[in-house]
Amino acid sequence: MTDHAAFPRQRLRFICDRLATALISACGIGVIGAVLAIGVFLAVEVAPLFVAPEVREQATAGDSLPALASLPTDSLSAAGEQQQWQADGRELVVFQRTASGLELAGRVEAVPPSRRITALAALQGGRALLIGDDGGGVQRWVTLADQDLPVPAGRYQALGSAPIRQLIALPDRQALAVNEANQMGLYQAIGGLRWQGQAPSGEALGWDDQGGLWWGSPDAASRLEIDAEHAEVNWRSLWLPQHYEGYAAPQQRWQTSASDSRDEPRYGLAPLAWGTLKAAAYALLVAIPLALGAAVHTACFMSAGLRTRIKPTLELMEALPGVVLGFIAGLVLAPWVERYLPGVLALLLVLPLGMLSGGALWACCSARWRQRLPLSWAGLWLMPWLALLAALALWLSPSLERLWFDGDMRSWLALQLGLDYASRNAMIVGLAMGLAVMPTIYALAEDALSGVPKSLAEGAAAMGATRWQALWKVVLPAASPGIFAALMIGAGRAVGETMIVLMATGNTAVMTASPFEGLRSLSANIAIELPEAALGGTHYRLLFLSALLLFVFTFCVNTLAEVVRGRLRRRYQRLGGPT
Amino acid sequence: MRLARGEGPWAWLAAGSVALSLLLLVALLALLAGRGLAHFWPGELVQVELDDGSRFAARPGREERSAEGVERLYHTGNREWLGTPWRWVEVARIVDQQRPAELVIVERRRWGDFIGRVVGLEEDGVALDIDDEAARWTALDERLTRLARLREARDALRQEEVMPRVRALSAEQDVASRARLEDELAAANAEVLALQARMARDRVVLESVAGERLALPLEEVLALQRPNAMSLPAKLGAWGERAWRFLSEGPRAANTAGGVWPAIFGTVLMVLLMSLLVAPFGVLAAIYLNEIAHQGRLTRLVRISVRNLAGVPSIVYGVFGLGVFVYGIGGSLDEWFFSDQLPSPTFGTGGLLWASLTLALLTLPVVIVATEEGLARIPDHQREGALALGATRLETLRRVVVPMALPAMLTGMILAVARAAGEVAPLMLVGVAKLAPQVPLDGEFPFLHLERKFMHLGYHIFDVGFHSGDVEAALPLVYATALLLVVVILVLNLTAIFMRHHLKARHGALPR
Repeated sequence: MTDHAAFPRQRLRFICDRLATALISACGIGVIGAVLAIGVFLAVEVAPLFVAPEVREQATAGDSLPALASLPTDSLSAAGEQQQWQADGRELVVFQRTASGLELAGRVEAVPPSRRITALAALQGGRALLIGDDGGGVQRWVTLADQDLPVPAGRYQALGSAPIRQLIALPDRQALAVNEANQMGLYQAIGGLRWQGQAPSGEALGWDDQGGLWWGSPDAASRLEIDAEHAEVNWRSLWLPQHYEGYAAPQQRWQTSASDSRDEPRYGLAPLAWGTLKAAAYALLVAIPLALGAAVHTACFMSAGLRTRIKPTLELMEALPGVVLGFIAGLVLAPWVERYLPGVLALLLVLPLGMLSGGALWACCSARWRQRLPLSWAGLWLMPWLALLAALALWLSPSLERLWFDGDMRSWLALQLGLDYASRNAMIVGLAMGLAVMPTIYALAEDALSGVPKSLAEGAAAMGATRWQALWKVVLPAASPGIFAALMIGAGRAVGETMIVLMATGNTAVMTASPFEGLRSLSANIAIELPEAALGGTHYRLLFLSALLLFVFTFCVNTLAEVVRGRLRRRYQRLGGPT
Repeated sequence: MRLARGEGPWAWLAAGSVALSLLLLVALLALLAGRGLAHFWPGELVQVELDDGSRFAARPGREERSAEGVERLYHTGNREWLGTPWRWVEVARIVDQQRPAELVIVERRRWGDFIGRVVGLEEDGVALDIDDEAARWTALDERLTRLARLREARDALRQEEVMPRVRALSAEQDVASRARLEDELAAANAEVLALQARMARDRVVLESVAGERLALPLEEVLALQRPNAMSLPAKLGAWGERAWRFLSEGPRAANTAGGVWPAIFGTVLMVLLMSLLVAPFGVLAAIYLNEIAHQGRLTRLVRISVRNLAGVPSIVYGVFGLGVFVYGIGGSLDEWFFSDQLPSPTFGTGGLLWASLTLALLTLPVVIVATEEGLARIPDHQREGALALGATRLETLRRVVVPMALPAMLTGMILAVARAAGEVAPLMLVGVAKLAPQVPLDGEFPFLHLERKFMHLGYHIFDVGFHSGDVEAALPLVYATALLLVVVILVLNLTAIFMRHHLKARHGALPR
């Protein structure tokens, strides 16, 4: 230190060094922090969805009561969009609204024996009705488009045991229930009972012009603050079937048409998660055999000279942009597969058989030919053979269709197996995304296989094993953690891919396993809907939740794969292989 | 039996999967290249006569086999009479096919293509009396050349005389100079109008094969070809010219015709901005992680996390960009600096800056990982040697470590650029537009408009392919655009592979 003090120049260098180090550290930590903040930010945006709703009495500064629009006085009747309801003991009397006036549509028993209806309220939109009884029970009924009478859509958790005195419908399909014991509960059509507590003294007075509900007596009134922005969302409502308006039974639905406020938004994430996993599964179904086969061949059988060319070529496929693959899949492959469906399905059989028959033919050849076309070059010389077989299968496709499928395979599928055929379907996505995921899996699996110390395979060969036996019994078990990691990373990529799924499926949120039907994935759904979603609304936050799910899933999967890979690397080092 | 004695069936399945993967790749590239390049080829025109005696001229396209027989798609053009420029015809109904040399295909500013014959020329509404076919063509060529000259003069006039005055006028406050500027502007405009009047002089009289006539002002003509009369070199020339126009012109007719220049420009500009943002930060973060941070458990954890971020779906980055950059930072910027323009947002909506930032974040892990790989490959004794000679850490970094890791950094940058150029999903959330009337870089202060939306090649593919009305017309364009994008990305990746190979060859020999 004294040296530094002695020479100013040295001291300057020292300070410079300290400064630069601090600067680099600050930058580095900042950048890494910013990148890692993505998950935190998404979680912060999503958190309000799961905040418990609350109803509070707002302290009002001025004591003057504003002009109020009065509440309906008769709590035993309610008016819906097409229907009018009236309570009569334990029965609900339903009137249909027609051009000539009200028309009796029927009566239906709505509450259990020994109870009677004490309050009714039509929810926003007028297609659902809340019924309160004298035992504190609250239930919802929904109207159906093609039926006169509404159907029950489930009982909510009861509000105490005293009779329900009043039901007040609020925006966002919420309602306040008050019972004779002066308990108050906040219900949401899908969310159920979200809050309960003591009702403020007095009774509901009416609405002010901002839509606030006032409570109390005319002398001491206060505004109720209802803090329930996302009451329709809870963990159950996102994943379990829900009974939406207009349906006779609970459904898994994702439908968010903001065009008509009378339509109930349906926020079920299950169909989207299903679509994501289905697309990924079909993609992996294509990618895994291709990638692992190719990795095994490149690592263990291919000649070294060819390997240095083939491996980068296959890895280059990873760089193909998803939008190009999606365009090829959606606009070229989809119509084309639709036309040659029997031929394409036949390819599933023809190609593996073609590979095997190629091997069989090779074994029958004379030794000179076998030397000329060795197995180590088979990756190349099998290409024309497979292309020929594929062309043959497609050429025969119309004949196959005439022979076995009455000339039209799509209608045959619909008639015989009850399968709908959508032009852009899971099979197309599987093919296109399989092609996108395959290079990732291939590169990592090949690294794992070729990283296995040569001494192991050589030892097996010395004991008399064929190359395949050495591979199967020795190399593959040694490399299996690496291959597992490759599969995990591939799965992560397949789950998050957006453009291919967006372009190669019809983006219909259906939950079937059929390869011939479309799907809607979480990622494609974000790309379609987020630009239109209102900032801070339930829909917006749910899309952020989808992004968070994707983030967490891929992050966990990749971390797992990375840890496994790290262990493997150390194991190879112990076994004395290359680092 | 001999098969079983060899490597067994599995070895052949493995070999087959290499072959199949390569086959798929080759087929994909061949499809893109074939269709993408064929789009610019001046294909021959045929005059078809059907069994009911009707005739039409068209460019034949693909065939489809159905139960009723073979159908062929014809591009007939002439949308104003036929309603649609495409026609499926049963091949069995065709009685006669000819390829008359005088058939022309005219690319027009409106109504798409015209296919038919040139039957005359008009000057100021008076028909010219030229009977000889060859003389008529010479006259037409002369007039087209004259028109091109006039158009050039007019565009130059607009660029150099009109636009500066319009800009000056909007900025000028002084009444006297305003009046002078307005006078000059009026004079310049009059000159432009005079040129335009001269351009409107000529008209070409066209006749379709079915007999409809049309007098088309020559300035409506974008290109006029007689493919049947062209020799091979002429066709090659026409091919090159159309390919060049595709690269250098803007889109027309709701993106279903014309070129992709704004999309190329937008992509390149966005990627450049992104590189400027990602390069320093990525490199600094890598240097910190590898050279400065204490190599403990925490650093290893951070390293794994950064690696993993490269595998996080790009759409998640898009969501982050929308939430933080567009709505968060952009919204605040609007409130602070652009409150006079609210509620129409300036920075509070997707734009060039936010897209570049989002992609920079997306590619940051790529750069960090690649740079770190390069840094880790430098043997420790190099650093120790420098330190032993009395260099400070900064000097060691600057003189020894960074120069040695430079190729790795470049590799990382190229990989980042290649990834960014192909990424579309996040851009859909943070600022890409299907049609941006103004490019983000122009002569107006502040020249680089970071808040503007921009066009992007990848999004152009998605938009034209899936949202355009006339898929048949759009498809060749999409092929050409996709080919362009793939070529750019493959070239970038090949460069990176080459550099990495070079790097390994150089440092591989050094012992650690």
